[in-house]
Amino acid sequence: MLLEFELNGKQTRVEAEPNLRVLDLLRDVLGLTGTKEGCGRGECGACTILLDGKAVNSCLLYAAKLQGRHVTTIEGLSGADEGAGGRGDQGDTPDLHPLQEAFLAEGAVQCGFCTPGMILSAKSLLDRNPDPDVREIEEALSGNLCRCTGYGKIVKAVQRAAERAPGSAKGEPHDER
Amino acid sequence: MKFLAGGTDLCVQIAEGALEPTLLIDISAAEELRRIERGAEGLRIGAAVTIAELLETARAAPGKPPAPASVPRCLLQGAAAIGSPQIRHLGTIGGNLCNASPCGDTLAPLIVLAGSFTLRSNRGSRVVAAEEFFLGPKATVLEPGEILQSILIPSTHLQGRSAFRMIGKRNGQAISQVNVAVWLKQEQSADSAGGGAGGTAPIQDIRIAAGSVAPIPLRLGRAERHLRGSVPDPSLLQAAARAVQEEIQPITDVRTSQAYRRSVTASLFLEVMTEVLEKQGG
Repeated sequence: MLLEFELNGKQTRVEAEPNLRVLDLLRDVLGLTGTKEGCGRGECGACTILLDGKAVNSCLLYAAKLQGRHVTTIEGLSGADEGAGGRGDQGDTPDLHPLQEAFLAEGAVQCGFCTPGMILSAKSLLDRNPDPDVREIEEALSGNLCRCTGYGKIVKAVQRAAERAPGSAKGEPHDER
Repeated sequence: MKFLAGGTDLCVQIAEGALEPTLLIDISAAEELRRIERGAEGLRIGAAVTIAELLETARAAPGKPPAPASVPRCLLQGAAAIGSPQIRHLGTIGGNLCNASPCGDTLAPLIVLAGSFTLRSNRGSRVVAAEEFFLGPKATVLEPGEILQSILIPSTHLQGRSAFRMIGKRNGQAISQVNVAVWLKQEQSADSAGGGAGGTAPIQDIRIAAGSVAPIPLRLGRAERHLRGSVPDPSLLQAAARAVQEEIQPITDVRTSQAYRRSVTASLFLEVMTEVLEKQGG
């Protein structure tokens, strides 16, 4: 079937089998290999993408479900590309999203395989709740496994990104006053 | 032919070869199945409402005071116990029910809330009580070509208080080894009229259900009879907990043993009773 959806801010048309996993569509058809396959059964979160701004497992998603939707992968976070569900990312570095900067600054990356999924789960949280507490961060990342056991630094990185992001209670004032 | 909603379970079964449907029909985008409506009859939840959307109803909109929770507490607690954020964003309440796993975390809550399910096919529609919907693991009364359209929680059971607990290996991504839900309504004494009833008022009505303790989620009528019409003192609660243990039919499986299930179900039941007898916000 002909799929039409927005991928990382760009309208995309691609021919694909309706029951192709979105994970395979992204990696094998569209060449976006930042999305990883871990367990392939919705338990590890390595394949997390944002669908209409919400974190989902792309290994549990058939391509047909993308029709007319907005998809953000890790590739859509850097640069000027704001992606779906973005809130105007204006990090200090034009090339990296504040979450990516924070993961680097906190040393929250070890082997890196879980990192794209972790960052997208964190983005799904921060877009909805710009000022989360530690418990809320841990809850938001509960579907993402890190086998290098680096969770402490990952949580710290999300906190750091929250503090520096526009819309944060600790950053610029926003409309919740 | 299979109907597909969130796909969080079906996709795994298909990937593993446990299911080989020749046709999949995705019903998750049908607007008619995606509404939550409060009417005179009660609260109607469309089958394709996602678990995350159900939980969102309890969340305050930015800058606004929290809305009075219209989704009963035990159902919110059951929904929150499901999977991970990623799973809850995709998975639907209808999928959790039609999947009919004995450990599904919305099943016991909907049984104690006296939920009824509207089933629909091209032959018409029918209504089935939640406790009569499940026939066994992965088996329901749904006929070929029939879908679950919506779930109704009657207004009588939107009153009163409820709670849910599950126990799994951990909180995130864990499948329930056992879960328990209780709904009850206490008589209001003259002193506490207008406020929530305390632990000392007689229980006017109560419904108790447990999951993962039998091939289907089980309503525990004997334990209910111990408590209905009585003041819930500690010895009566202990007697009800023993009735719970006698009534369930747990098995040993990959997740845990029969003995553990029997013991922990009684403990969970007592915890849920403590929560439900304390004053709650909603």
